[in-house]
Amino acid sequence: MNVLTIAQFTIHEALRRRLILAGVLLSLAFLGLFALGFSFLYGKVLEATAARPNPQMLAVFGATLTLLGLYAVSFLSSFTALFLSVGAISGEIDSGALHAVLARPLRRVEYVLGRWLAYAGISGLYVIAMSSAALLIARLIAGYTAADALRGILLLSLAAVLLVTLSLFGSTWLSTLANGVTMFSLFGLAWLAGIIEFIGEALRNEAMINLGILVSLLVPSDALWRSASFYFQSPAAMLALAAGRPVLPFAAGAPPTLPFILWSAGYVLLMLTGAVLVFARRDL
Amino acid sequence: MLPRAFAEQPPLAAGHASATPGPAIETIGLCKEYGGRVVLQDLSLTVQRGEVFGFLGPNGAGKTTTVKILVGLVRPTAGEARLFGRPVSDPAARRRIGYLPEHFRFHDWMTGEELLDFHGRLAGMSANERRARIPEVLELVGLAGRGRERIRNYSKGMTQRIGLAQALLHRPDLVLLDEPTSALDPVGRREIRDLMRRLRAEGVTVFLNSHLLSEVELVCDCVAIVDRGRVVRSGRLKDLLGRSTELRITVDCVDEALLAHLRRYAEVLAVDGTTVTVGVAELDAAPAIAEAIVRAGYRLYSLVPMQRSLEDMFISLVHGGPV
Repeated sequence: MNVLTIAQFTIHEALRRRLILAGVLLSLAFLGLFALGFSFLYGKVLEATAARPNPQMLAVFGATLTLLGLYAVSFLSSFTALFLSVGAISGEIDSGALHAVLARPLRRVEYVLGRWLAYAGISGLYVIAMSSAALLIARLIAGYTAADALRGILLLSLAAVLLVTLSLFGSTWLSTLANGVTMFSLFGLAWLAGIIEFIGEALRNEAMINLGILVSLLVPSDALWRSASFYFQSPAAMLALAAGRPVLPFAAGAPPTLPFILWSAGYVLLMLTGAVLVFARRDL
Repeated sequence: MLPRAFAEQPPLAAGHASATPGPAIETIGLCKEYGGRVVLQDLSLTVQRGEVFGFLGPNGAGKTTTVKILVGLVRPTAGEARLFGRPVSDPAARRRIGYLPEHFRFHDWMTGEELLDFHGRLAGMSANERRARIPEVLELVGLAGRGRERIRNYSKGMTQRIGLAQALLHRPDLVLLDEPTSALDPVGRREIRDLMRRLRAEGVTVFLNSHLLSEVELVCDCVAIVDRGRVVRSGRLKDLLGRSTELRITVDCVDEALLAHLRRYAEVLAVDGTTVTVGVAELDAAPAIAEAIVRAGYRLYSLVPMQRSLEDMFISLVHGGPV
């Protein structure tokens, strides 16, 4: 009950501070741009190949454009997740507004879970809405169908929830500024690790691959995107790309393994438990 | 802004302190260290139900830390604290308390009414109770008609008032007020004093954390003076202040012979021109002293018993001077 009160209060705050309005407006602008760019480029390719149609090439091109759009969605949702939750606890401590709230018959675990529920919910919904919209645009313009849109969207949502949880954990013991710097560094590190792993695979360099995997386990956000990206490819594009090797630096050539998904889910649980335990012991 | 006549208003408190036994507040050997710095050492105090209790001390004495331990914001390093017999680590101990934090900062993106509604929900009030009670408390703290404004646009004084409303919202049996009038003007302070008297009349226990001694002297039944993390004196205000008495004597001329006479009955504390201040054990010594002065041939202009003020006692205690 208290958890829901806190979650509702958190969503109320996001609405009142116009965070959600700003997010929605920016996202609509992004989707508009994506639709324009997609139809323009796809139209050009259609025109150029009108004399000698090449369905394989068209499939790869459509998949590339769609994945680029979804990649941008994944960035947008990661930033949304981080910006929302980076001061989830620390900001409230700094402002002093938390004192009167926690003097109520409220357990600290309820407060943490309420904040988490709201931010994870907002971020998850955001991912679902944005990636569905991007996929819909690709479908309307190029007749594009993802191999498994649902799995892709779920994995992408998990990535956003994971970032929310990680930064919520950080905000229970770091200041908002320190947490922001840490979270964006970790996010960047995960992204870089993905690139290193991709290059390592291209060069067949074990050390680079292992380094990439290690960082992906430490911060699985980028690895989750790559897992999702596999399912976002169309079956036609997969065939054309002769699956097994990533061709795009931001996409995966193989589906994620079950242990990795379990690790990511366990990671969320671990961070959430950490947040609850640290905050329960903290003096305010 | 002045609250209307109190008699017309509904009661502040439910008036049925929870059925659990035990004093309103009880701390035993409370200690708190922050990274090796001792803030509280062996702080023990008891506040009986229905008392208006003044918690006094210089800045940094540990007053706010004590209050924060009582409301569960800070965990003591050692010792225990109970509210109405329940350990403060139990959230249920906070069900019947209201708390105004020292810095009275609230979610300023909310309106006053929204803040009260949110706190009312956390305090376990039903939607109907909240709807009925919120206008009442707004009126009580002098914010009638301002509840729909954002707290961001409130003045400091208004923010402190909404904080008080938040503390009194659910008719608590115990209110802990940490410097409740720091942002108020003299009129506002007086209103809050009246409010505290009214709370006492309704049987609500008030724990007042303050360094405004005059304010404490006006409303509190009992006080504890804390210095460097320990209680250095506590008890009923009347007993503490009435314990020793001074007499201020003005005569036509002060010389050694007069002082020698006076020393037979009292301790000479100060001489200022033709005025002598002496300390006596009992006020009953005054007639004998007057008689001795007159018999020795001095002209006695005045002999005034001076009660020690709380400020005198406070200064002497926290500076380690004679008591």
